[in-house]
Amino acid sequence: MAPSLLHPPSHLSPAAALQLSQQAPSVLQSSPATVSSAPLISLFSTSESPDLWLKYENLLLSCLRTGDEHAAHQCLDRLVARFGEDNERVQALHGLVKEADANNTGALEIVLKQYDAILAENDTNIPVTKRRIALLRSMGRIPEAVASLIQLLDFSPTDPEAWSELADLYLSQGMYPQAIFALEEVLLMAPNAWNMHARLGEVQYMAASATGATDAASQKYLAEALKRFSRSVELCDDYLRGYYGLKLVTTKLIKDPPKPAVKATDLDDFAVPTTSTIEKLNELATEKLSEIVRRYTAKERQWHGYDEAEIAAARELLSQDASQTER
Amino acid sequence: MSTEKDYQISPVVQESIVHNSRTLFNFQSLTASLFGVCAGILGLESYTGFLFYIISTLLTCILFYALRIAPSSIASGKAPFDTSRYFRGAFEFWTSGLSGGLAGFILTWTLFYGLVRA
Amino acid sequence: MAQIPVQTIHRDPQLFYWILAPITVVMVLTGILRHYATVMMATAPKKMDQKTMREQRSLMHGINLRNNYHVLSKRSFNVRRDALTAAFESGAYLKNPDQRGQAPPNPLSDPSAMDGMMGMMKNQMAMIIPNTLIMSWINAFFSGYVIMKLPFPLTIKFKSMLQAGVATRDMDPRWMSSISWYFLCIFGLQSVFNFILGSDNAASQMAAQMNQMGAQGTPQMFGPGVDPDKQFQAEAENLAVIEHYSVLDDVETRLLEGIRA
Repeated sequence: MAPSLLHPPSHLSPAAALQLSQQAPSVLQSSPATVSSAPLISLFSTSESPDLWLKYENLLLSCLRTGDEHAAHQCLDRLVARFGEDNERVQALHGLVKEADANNTGALEIVLKQYDAILAENDTNIPVTKRRIALLRSMGRIPEAVASLIQLLDFSPTDPEAWSELADLYLSQGMYPQAIFALEEVLLMAPNAWNMHARLGEVQYMAASATGATDAASQKYLAEALKRFSRSVELCDDYLRGYYGLKLVTTKLIKDPPKPAVKATDLDDFAVPTTSTIEKLNELATEKLSEIVRRYTAKERQWHGYDEAEIAAARELLSQDASQTER
Repeated sequence: MSTEKDYQISPVVQESIVHNSRTLFNFQSLTASLFGVCAGILGLESYTGFLFYIISTLLTCILFYALRIAPSSIASGKAPFDTSRYFRGAFEFWTSGLSGGLAGFILTWTLFYGLVRA
Repeated sequence: MAQIPVQTIHRDPQLFYWILAPITVVMVLTGILRHYATVMMATAPKKMDQKTMREQRSLMHGINLRNNYHVLSKRSFNVRRDALTAAFESGAYLKNPDQRGQAPPNPLSDPSAMDGMMGMMKNQMAMIIPNTLIMSWINAFFSGYVIMKLPFPLTIKFKSMLQAGVATRDMDPRWMSSISWYFLCIFGLQSVFNFILGSDNAASQMAAQMNQMGAQGTPQMFGPGVDPDKQFQAEAENLAVIEHYSVLDDVETRLLEGIRA
């Protein structure tokens, strides 16, 4: 799939991002330099579409990523000319460009001060708040970032982006229960997001295999991780990460089956399914994973949307499995 | 198992449903206006005109189903005439055109009837 | 009963060019004008301060939990329910915790409420002004003619409406005057606007009226004059009565069955 300027470029591979930012001169040339927002003039000039501004924004992001700061500045100038300096999103983008221009910690501190100044004036400016948190995180000030995220979530608890960022921060600190809580909040907002189900499963799997987890706790996590991965592939039946996780969890459960002593957990938690079910699920995941890998390698149509690295990881997992059974 | 739970287990994306119904609505109001033109030119009066409207609307519904819905719906294992892959309720699908396009139909019907039979 | 002979009236074909066409064109153009006027008059959503946003989004949070509780395990659901119910009942999320239990302020004296009223007023005006103008225009220029015959029969009750300005007693109610063509246009042009302006246009007053009906049917979420404390209490109650189940129950059996089938 060719990268499109209409989608945010954060998930793209470096090569794709480069390809996008190389389009910058042609995009900038093909569209008018200024679009006036005055109603009378806009009646007579070329029509603007929301797509155009989305394009500029995404182009700006790709250009910053690939170091084409000249084009990024041009995009920003056009956005400012259209929406004005005071637009919340433009303010955040402006800050982003400044962050990219800064080449030492001192300059970043100045940008941070500017964010603080903007927020002191208008404390509901969510784009800038998020920028500030991201900046704090990239400067390594994790506790501050977490604190401001929590403050943001206190007055805006229906923001899935913020919750998943919080989950990521907690995870990076190894605080699994907190990360799980934050991910559950994301799921409340987006109950059918299969990638979030799988992500939650991954975090639970990590929590289960973390050192210091008691048997009962780890088993509880594993049971729920199993359910989460199952739900994720139920919602999207060729989701590679879901099958990968399903296989990991079932293999682990088969290898050291739950001890009957700790099996009697209370009713509030999910019970581990029976051994035969686990084995069947494992088979299913193996089968599906090898199908995905096979078809991806054969470059079949509609099967090339997977990430190269994820396919490689799946292949490795499968070969490990094969070598174990041979032994 | 309750239907609500069924629905939660295999969800349907709300935006797509809205988009589908809107497409259907636009299509039906266009065809209703065109049928009004037909009825006016044919010079249909009273009951025959309304009968013409009902029959032709149902016909467009069936054609819409056969050409746009059936190929992928039946392929995914749904029974024939089951529109649940793309629409919320079957009743809504088959009858929404009747009420939605009626005003447009009467307008063009009257106009062309007047023009032709003046 | 003897069949009433079909009335035929010979009309000047010029009537079409000088009455029917102008009315139709004017109706279409007003619809387009109304659409663009509404787009231009739309005010940007008003800025909220942090407290208001917190109040509204916390309530949304509770509603989300109520709608999507099925993604959680029972334990996590119970934890959230206890926390939210306690907070809702104690009024922790309220904008002005001191004003609990007082009557909500009079919406007419509240400046923030006035904005919403103004928006509604503007919409109403955009509908009423063109309509009265066109009605009086038609009445002034085109009254007293019969221009068309409806293709379907109507009862005698419609006579006074359809033949306004044509004072004949014996004419079949199927004959209609220019004002009734105007009414037909109001109802029937929606589909025309759909093609010209896209389907979510503001051209037709019919659609606007439908929207208003819908808005009255459902209670306003954060409108003026609604006591947020009451909303929070109601939400807490709603949460308390939920009987929890999860979509994760039996998901693995469903998955295995689904694959086999």
